[in-house]
Amino acid sequence: MSAEIFNPNPTIFATTKSKTTYAKPSSLWLDESDESDEDELDGNNEREEIDQDEIFELIRSISDPEHRSMTLEQLAVVSAPQISFDSPSSSSRRNVTVEFTPTVPHCGMSTFIGLSIRVRLLRSLPNRFKVEIRVKPGSHQSENALNKQLNDKERVAAALENPALVEVLEQCLAGATA
Amino acid sequence: MSISPEAEERVERLVRTWMSTGRNEEVDLTVSELSDVGSLLSVVKALGEFLTSEEDEPRTKGVEFLSLVLGRFPPEKLSRQSVRVLVTFFRGKLEDTETIVPALEGLATLVTLPNFASSDAIDIIQSLFKHVKMRALVQSVRFTVFTIVDGLIAKHRDALKGLGKDFLTGYIALAEGEKDPRNLLLAFAIARVLLIEFDVTDHVEDLFNITFCYFPITFRPPPDDPYRITTEDLKSTLRGCLNATPLFGPLAIPLFLEKLTAGTPNTKKDTLQTLDECLPIYGASVARANARKLWNTLKLEIFQPTNSDIEAEALKTTQVLIQTIYSDKDSSAEATGEEIEGLAREACDECIKILKEPEKSQAKPATKILCAFMSTTPSVAKFTLSQAVPHLVKLFLNPDEAPNRAPTLRLLSDIIIAARDSTLHNADALPDEVVVPLSAFKDEVLGVLTVGLKATSTSRPALDGLKGMVTTQGLLTDEEVGFVVHNVNELLSEDEDEDVSEAILDLLTSISVTAPRHISQTTLPLLFTSLPDRAPPRSAENERHKYWRTLAFLKRLCVQSDLFEMLVVRLTTKLDLIFSPTPLSSEEETDEQVDDEPSAAYAHSILRTLADVLKIKVDKGDVDAQKYIDRLLPRLYHLHNFASLSTIERDWLAADARLVNVTAEIVTLIMQVQTVQKQEIFLSSLFAAFIDGEAKKVAEGLRKLPEGKLFLPFDTSANSRQKNLIILFTSPIIALYKEVKLPTPDEDAFLDKLLLWGIFVANTNSEREAAFQAIASVINKRTSSFSEFLSNLLEKFWISTAGNRSTAVERRKKVINAWTWITKALLIQNHALTQKFVDKLFELFDDPTVSWDAARSIGKVVASDKVLTKRHHATIKILHAQRFFNSVLPRIVQGAKDSEDPQKQNAYLVALTSLIKSIPKTTYTHELPSLMPLLLRGLDLPDAEIRANVIDTFLATADPASKENTESMVSEHASSLVSTMLKNCMVEEMPSVRLRISALRYLAVLPSLVRYDLLHPQKAIVIRELAKVLDDPKRAVRKEAVEARTNWFKYTG
Repeated sequence: MSAEIFNPNPTIFATTKSKTTYAKPSSLWLDESDESDEDELDGNNEREEIDQDEIFELIRSISDPEHRSMTLEQLAVVSAPQISFDSPSSSSRRNVTVEFTPTVPHCGMSTFIGLSIRVRLLRSLPNRFKVEIRVKPGSHQSENALNKQLNDKERVAAALENPALVEVLEQCLAGATA
Repeated sequence: MSISPEAEERVERLVRTWMSTGRNEEVDLTVSELSDVGSLLSVVKALGEFLTSEEDEPRTKGVEFLSLVLGRFPPEKLSRQSVRVLVTFFRGKLEDTETIVPALEGLATLVTLPNFASSDAIDIIQSLFKHVKMRALVQSVRFTVFTIVDGLIAKHRDALKGLGKDFLTGYIALAEGEKDPRNLLLAFAIARVLLIEFDVTDHVEDLFNITFCYFPITFRPPPDDPYRITTEDLKSTLRGCLNATPLFGPLAIPLFLEKLTAGTPNTKKDTLQTLDECLPIYGASVARANARKLWNTLKLEIFQPTNSDIEAEALKTTQVLIQTIYSDKDSSAEATGEEIEGLAREACDECIKILKEPEKSQAKPATKILCAFMSTTPSVAKFTLSQAVPHLVKLFLNPDEAPNRAPTLRLLSDIIIAARDSTLHNADALPDEVVVPLSAFKDEVLGVLTVGLKATSTSRPALDGLKGMVTTQGLLTDEEVGFVVHNVNELLSEDEDEDVSEAILDLLTSISVTAPRHISQTTLPLLFTSLPDRAPPRSAENERHKYWRTLAFLKRLCVQSDLFEMLVVRLTTKLDLIFSPTPLSSEEETDEQVDDEPSAAYAHSILRTLADVLKIKVDKGDVDAQKYIDRLLPRLYHLHNFASLSTIERDWLAADARLVNVTAEIVTLIMQVQTVQKQEIFLSSLFAAFIDGEAKKVAEGLRKLPEGKLFLPFDTSANSRQKNLIILFTSPIIALYKEVKLPTPDEDAFLDKLLLWGIFVANTNSEREAAFQAIASVINKRTSSFSEFLSNLLEKFWISTAGNRSTAVERRKKVINAWTWITKALLIQNHALTQKFVDKLFELFDDPTVSWDAARSIGKVVASDKVLTKRHHATIKILHAQRFFNSVLPRIVQGAKDSEDPQKQNAYLVALTSLIKSIPKTTYTHELPSLMPLLLRGLDLPDAEIRANVIDTFLATADPASKENTESMVSEHASSLVSTMLKNCMVEEMPSVRLRISALRYLAVLPSLVRYDLLHPQKAIVIRELAKVLDDPKRAVRKEAVEARTNWFKYTG
């Protein structure tokens, strides 16, 4: 890793918060914790599809390689609206596009950030998901080269052969530390 | 006094014997021969030939014997003259390399004697300096030298001071180069005395060299160190030297700076902590001279911290630095109103400059520094506030900076809170004497914060800031607090996210402690009026969410006694309104299907709120909870009794089992805080109502209870609503004291009746449980009154019901359930009958129809529950679980291993898993290695719950921190565990969500428990198989799968 610092003082953004849920949205009752109910629920395997939020949940906590104490979400590098599907939720093959925004256009860490998103999703999404990772249009000076690099299977595989790189990668994937 | 010739001869003999044996006996005998004489002259005489021997060994032994005798000699018996002679003698022996070791021992004893004089001290120290070459001596001997010096310094300090320079140079040469931690502890202690009490002006550099060369301490005690010297001991005694004199300052600071820049995290931390102790001693001028350099280094640790620990230490050191620089002139500065100059101003300016961009990441550490300044000196704190607060206020009001209002308020709130928590406040000062530094900016800050409340993005930090202000003593007037409450009330009607709601509640709750009036007069009426009188219809999800939110607010705000009373009054009125007859409109009359469930659900939420607040109050020990036995309970009983008696269908709403269950909780909560007398009075009304049919005895309400209807809930022909009310009959009973008897002529018969009712009549599980729980509770508290009842159960009842194979299976299961509760009542008090009751359960293990139910009960009888508790005045003996576990475990293990019948074997496995699940971890941990094979078999039982319990047990005992303990146990079975877990986490094979989750969790911890080489062959399989689980239909399962798979990816050798 180069010692050059691309953005020493990045802007921090508020992270999203969830709304209070007092009960299940459709429920009339505040708590339906009858034990008999629970047994029934336990075997209930009605499908809950993987959605935008679930994918965002996977990548929001990755820490920034330049600022280990901050997450990609805090720096607004990734956000839920930047995740999109181009096929209906029921189809067996699904294409997902994850877009991210480097904090500065000359950010030399962008490849690394993209790679960390790639690896997290590679490990966490079922095989039927095909993931495309792109930088937000106009947010980086070498946008095309970056996009190409991040979606080239062989180059990703080659990068993961480098033990030093993988070590830093694991640290970032483990999440913000301080 | 002189010694007899006979004695002299005996001493001579003893000396000779010792020379060949070296035993302690001779030493002791010699001491007793001479102790009356007060002189060791005869020993020296007897030793004569040895002491002058040409050979080395006799000389050494000779001096050694004398030292030993001296060491055991009664100290007060040695005359001044003898001491003098001995000092000279031992000093003489220091020159001889063969005798120096025992001679030092002798001197070490002499130093402690009462007749040891200052002149001796000077002689000894000079001899030491002259003859002792520390490098030639081993650790223990060097230790003796330090002990001698230490003893001399302790008792003859002035004499040594008289030696001046010679003493210091001599000692420095002696101590230089010492490396052993045991010796260093002494050397550091000596150095501290020298630095503080001796004139060290000319030797600062030498002393610096023999102390600072040890900084930082990197010593790690070897395992099982018999001397038990810790790194901390060394660090703190060394610090005692480093901070002993201001003269060290100019030399020390550059060294500290070097360690701070180049050191490891541990060194950095040690250096910062040492600086904290040293700076105040080194003084203002040293601190001022090095201020810039120190600040530049400290700043680095705050803005780019190595870790949060060091960041906190660096902030602390910055505080110490500022305090050191400014404390001496603070009092004068305050008097003259002099401006702050120097580091505080420069650092402040630097931080404020960074705060021009409050949204950037550097703003946070900059604020931390400013906050740290709040606890330095009053004038610096005042100066910092005067710089930071107006700056942030201006920034907030600047229209160009509008997008950055949220971070601006965040920083402002941090500063308000730091000012509040400043350590500068004098806790003893009277409230009106306290000058609150923030007062000067009160109005503009309050203004900015109330503006901040109005926008969604800024409301959270604004609320935090307001809380900071409200909780600052003496800052806001009562009127201003009212103003804050008024502004916050406006937020109540909006649907905010959880964080904001939490902050609102937090602020209002802290106000309710100091100024409840504002809450009760403005906030609560607002909340109460926002609660609808009628339940919103099923489709009105938003309305429903709103009343839930309002109730959640009330729950938090109404714990204080006056506010709670208000809550009870308003909510019971609301309940009456919900259940009052609807003035039916003509359309509704035609529409037969009126949806009443939302009303029941609304009432349920209200009751839930009351129960939750009561629980908080009872847990806190609020005494006002008592009075609600008269104020709340009759209203609630009336509600439900009415519903059970009414013939109009709409009135039946309040009989809903879910509502009755919450009321039962309320009843038990209130009952448990009553006195014995109050309980007795209530109980007699309760029996009058439920047994004698006088329903109004416990009820009190607006609508008259229907006449002519029978209230006999125990009757077999009672309607289901009435039967359900049995729960309200048993809920007070479970909270009775053991002094309270049941108001019935024959208590045995009554329990019999209740038991049979539970088995034969009760409609639902919760009714049945309620009956059994009441029986268990009464038996637990008054076991001796029911011995006949219990023996009847054992001798007759069991055989005719559960023990009888021709009884219907369902009925037998109910009896087992009742049996479980009664056994539990006995077990928790270690009662002798427990074993007999448990035996009956074991008897059923070879009956396949009920064996699993009986086996599960083995665990249930010892599981903790919410009924038989201390709070409910149950009789509980400590360690009953341990005792029970030890008594049944051998039987279960035996059964699970030996039994010929696989059916029966399985029952024992079920019992084992149920038992382990029910008892505290510490009870079974030591048995776990031997139980592992059985538990693994439990994982093959065709029951998801049992499997999940087993895995949860594994999880509970899987502690990566104590790897040594778990590793051997798990490693042995590691690969079979992996395949079992994989089987149980696939949705195709395992429908239970809970089991899939448990299995995945265990897969996720395995890599931290087992050495990589053992599971290496399975890594690829696990990763491949888990890829399938990533597509599980349930989100919660997928989440665990991600976690587990990530851990396996990272699992490497």
